[in-house]
Amino acid sequence: MTSEAVARAVGLSKVYGTGGALVTALDAITVSFGAGEFTAIMGPSGSGKSTLLHCLAGLDSPSAGQAFIGDVDITLLPDKQLTQLRRDKVGFIFQAFNLIPTLTAAENITLPLDIAGRAVDPARFDEVVDAVGIRDRLRHRPSELSGGQQQRVAGARALLSRPEIVFADEPTGNLDSKASAELLGFLRAAVKERGQSIVMVTHDAGAASYADRIVFLADGRAVDEMRDPTAERVLDRLKSLEA
Amino acid sequence: MWRATIKSLLARKLRLALTAMAVVLGVGFMAGTLIITDTALHSFDGLFGDVYQGTDVVVQAKTAFMPDQGGPGGGGGQLGDPIPADVLAKVQAIPGVKAADGDVAGLAQITDPATGDAIQNGGAPTIGNSWDPGVTSLIVASGREPSGPTDVLIDAGTAADHHLSVGQSIQVVSTTGSGRFTISGIGRYANSDSLLGATLAIFDLHTAQELFDMGDQYSFIYVASDPGVTPVQLASRVQNALPDGFEAVTSASAAESQSADVNKGLGFLRTALLVFAFVSLFVGAFIIFNTFNIVVTQRTRELALLRALGAGRRQVMTSVLSESVLVGLTASLVGVLVGVGLAVVLRGLLGALGLKLPTGSLVIASRTFIVSLVVGTVITGVAALSPARRASRVSPIEALREGAAPPASLRRRVVGGSLVTAAGVAALLGGLFGGVSNGAALVGLGAMLTFIGVAMLSPLVTEPLGVLLGAPLRRAAPGRLGLENAKRNPRRTASTSSALMIGLGLVVFVSVFAASLRASVTSTLDAVLRADYTVSTTSFQPFSPQVSTDVGAVPGVEAASALRQAQVKIGASSTFVVGVDPASFPKVANVTMESGSFADLNTAGTIIVSHGAALTKHLAVGDTLTTTFPRSGAEHLRVVGVFEQNSLLNDYAISLPTYEANVSQQLDFAVFVTLAPEANPTSVRAGINAVLKRYPDVELSDQTQFKEKEIAQIDQILGLVGGLLALSVLISLFGIVNTLALSNYERIRELGLLRAVGMSRGQIRRMIRSEAVVIALIGAILGLIVGVAFGWAMQRALADQGVSRLSVPFGQLLIMLVIAALLGVVAAIWPARKAAKIDVLQAISYE
Repeated sequence: MTSEAVARAVGLSKVYGTGGALVTALDAITVSFGAGEFTAIMGPSGSGKSTLLHCLAGLDSPSAGQAFIGDVDITLLPDKQLTQLRRDKVGFIFQAFNLIPTLTAAENITLPLDIAGRAVDPARFDEVVDAVGIRDRLRHRPSELSGGQQQRVAGARALLSRPEIVFADEPTGNLDSKASAELLGFLRAAVKERGQSIVMVTHDAGAASYADRIVFLADGRAVDEMRDPTAERVLDRLKSLEA
Repeated sequence: MWRATIKSLLARKLRLALTAMAVVLGVGFMAGTLIITDTALHSFDGLFGDVYQGTDVVVQAKTAFMPDQGGPGGGGGQLGDPIPADVLAKVQAIPGVKAADGDVAGLAQITDPATGDAIQNGGAPTIGNSWDPGVTSLIVASGREPSGPTDVLIDAGTAADHHLSVGQSIQVVSTTGSGRFTISGIGRYANSDSLLGATLAIFDLHTAQELFDMGDQYSFIYVASDPGVTPVQLASRVQNALPDGFEAVTSASAAESQSADVNKGLGFLRTALLVFAFVSLFVGAFIIFNTFNIVVTQRTRELALLRALGAGRRQVMTSVLSESVLVGLTASLVGVLVGVGLAVVLRGLLGALGLKLPTGSLVIASRTFIVSLVVGTVITGVAALSPARRASRVSPIEALREGAAPPASLRRRVVGGSLVTAAGVAALLGGLFGGVSNGAALVGLGAMLTFIGVAMLSPLVTEPLGVLLGAPLRRAAPGRLGLENAKRNPRRTASTSSALMIGLGLVVFVSVFAASLRASVTSTLDAVLRADYTVSTTSFQPFSPQVSTDVGAVPGVEAASALRQAQVKIGASSTFVVGVDPASFPKVANVTMESGSFADLNTAGTIIVSHGAALTKHLAVGDTLTTTFPRSGAEHLRVVGVFEQNSLLNDYAISLPTYEANVSQQLDFAVFVTLAPEANPTSVRAGINAVLKRYPDVELSDQTQFKEKEIAQIDQILGLVGGLLALSVLISLFGIVNTLALSNYERIRELGLLRAVGMSRGQIRRMIRSEAVVIALIGAILGLIVGVAFGWAMQRALADQGVSRLSVPFGQLLIMLVIAALLGVVAAIWPARKAAKIDVLQAISYE
């Protein structure tokens, strides 16, 4: 069922600091993420999950190795192309502060397209908005939305332009269980029904169980993986990793 | 708590630097102004001390008052009756007199032989004098003293500026005509090469008496005392020997009173500079206020944490206030240093305008130091007062709450702002139209209150104005985001724009007033002037009455009518009276009488007054108007007519014979010429020009040129004022930089997010630029409105005094709007660059 990879890390390393204070966040990691798959990255704190996500998304530059989006080695791209890549081929959902406070929900959803100066496809917009269920909040500013609604708006923004891949960094980290379930269900549906590729960093076994595949990281390396996870299996595996 | 204060100061170096910048600029301009005026006054004092070196007592005619403004009968010449020749011998015979010289003074215009043009430095006088061998303070630097009818000694400053040397032949124009002289020597004073840009032409006594038409009489007698005799003793001995109408004063008191006169003459400049320094500080206060407001808002969580940890309200308030005082004090110190630099620049500027200050050391009085420190610190403290109060009200719970508190209601601000604006407008109108004694102060207070009131109200209009101005920006995402950013915090945007509003409002006011003045001058001259030609100097300096006689004799000239002008006192106020020839003047100008008759001026001891003067002084035909002349004292002149406002006659006019009877020095400032109906203009013009060859200081203008000359005078003064005010616009630029930098600091996550979702660096810069342009344009529009309103009020107030027309220079105002927008772009450069360079990952990472 694994199709071709939509994003890959090949021998990717990231080292912070110098001399005695050297911290290795990623240690020559090689891992790939399949198209049309919902992949979760898990691991203990400091295992390099977020660093991997940032390097793959072109937000951070690795110390060595390569990172691919599709066939493009993004470690070679200058800032201008990286910015364009983030705008056109990548969607983002962060843990918090996903939205521009001066813009309405609708404006936040179309922001990347507006930045690119491209027209919004109204049918696609309706589809995404209905999928996340925020039609009645479109004219509201972020401060008038609940945390769950804000994250769903962020999700709609990430999906609107049909990016090659969506990166989600602890998207449910600030949400209660009901709001988490809604957001994750919506992400899962995007993968299942429209073949969207999603990579999500999480430390929550429940959240990870929505994924098709989980990659486990420890000390900057991919140490294990699991397909079609359930929350119990994930918790067991985490315990064994931390032991 | 002190440690927390200092730590928090050091932790925010950037914000600290930005706050300090506002104070430094405001204080710098104030200190610079004080230093430059002190330096100017000090050098004048020194100069007059120099001039009277060697003289202990001065004998002069008693005058009713000392005119403090230039012009004929004013500066640089004979004010009272000449001193009879026999007085000198009497003075010389007094025991204790070592030497006494009779001195003759007048106006003498030197011509540059290279260009043939009159040498004239701005408004500085062209002094002619006799050589007083016994008492002179001049040092012959090269050549020798003047002796004989063709010798002249000139000052080293003029010689150096125009490359003149001993032996050269130059033309000198005096009251009695013009002649060629040979430079016999070049002289200087002990401490300076010239008298502040004035030109000196020194002749031997006999030649000077002839040139200035003094017969065998003197303007002054300068006396040097024997050792052991004090000037005061000698002055009283000399006084006893003098006939009525003359007085003997010590040279120290003569120098002091002359210095005081110059001081008064400089009053306008000093006031203008101080007003400007105050405006800078006022604008600076807005920026300081705004900066502290933003900084305190940004520190809400930190302050709330302090409160949660048990700090009292008072302690928080003290912390914020002492922080501001520390910043204010330090920045004021730096400001004084900046002020010294500015004083040097200002001195250069004044030199370029013709006021040459000696290039000695700057005078930095301890008063300058103290005033600058106190004013800078107090203003910073006061500006921080309301943010500090707000800070102390932060509840501990806000430390834990995410996001900013909802903005408070604007209602109190609206009420307060309306009250302050109303009070300001009332004071302004009261000062302009109320006829109160200290109107100018009231107008200033009114203008200040109006600015504050409008600034308080301006958050109300930032939203609609932003929408209106930002319409073209809405098309692209960066512009739209920038516009939203400008609108999201109306108070912050409003107070940032208000700083610009003040500077620009004043510039607009000056330009509206200047345009109205120009339009009024042109239209009144059109209505009044009948003459085909006018003869005058470039800057309306006085010249010899011989000119009008000679021009009148040119074939084809029907009338050549001269005007003279002298400073007099009417009531307590000093004003000018115009001397006019009642017979020829109606041939060169239209005079419309409201009552009485112009021809009645021919009767001795009469005066006519303008409509405006009649109104304010409650005068009518038949009344007696007491006019005090410097030479003759109080004269009771009979009012024989009231004329409609006339820009040539000003407010008061007397006949030439009356003028001659009361004013000692007879010099014209303009001659108006009408041609005979059958005359050929080209040949008459050539004839007049041939006559004027003898008088290089004057020139012939036709009606259009004459109007241009009058307008050029207005432009020069108002241009200087406008230019100084424009500098305060530059200060407000720093306010925009401040606000943008601080706002970006608190929006760093948004910037990171925008970059993460694909906004390019260029687009980030464009976004910040758009915000800056919107802020600048809001300020500019408010400034235009307030400025035009001020200009209109001023014109209405002066409508009776000749400013009859309101003219709004729309072209200029449009250019100012464009410049304001460009200033916004410039202000955005640095903050935009910084914002575009943020590290995306750092910006979006959660604490």
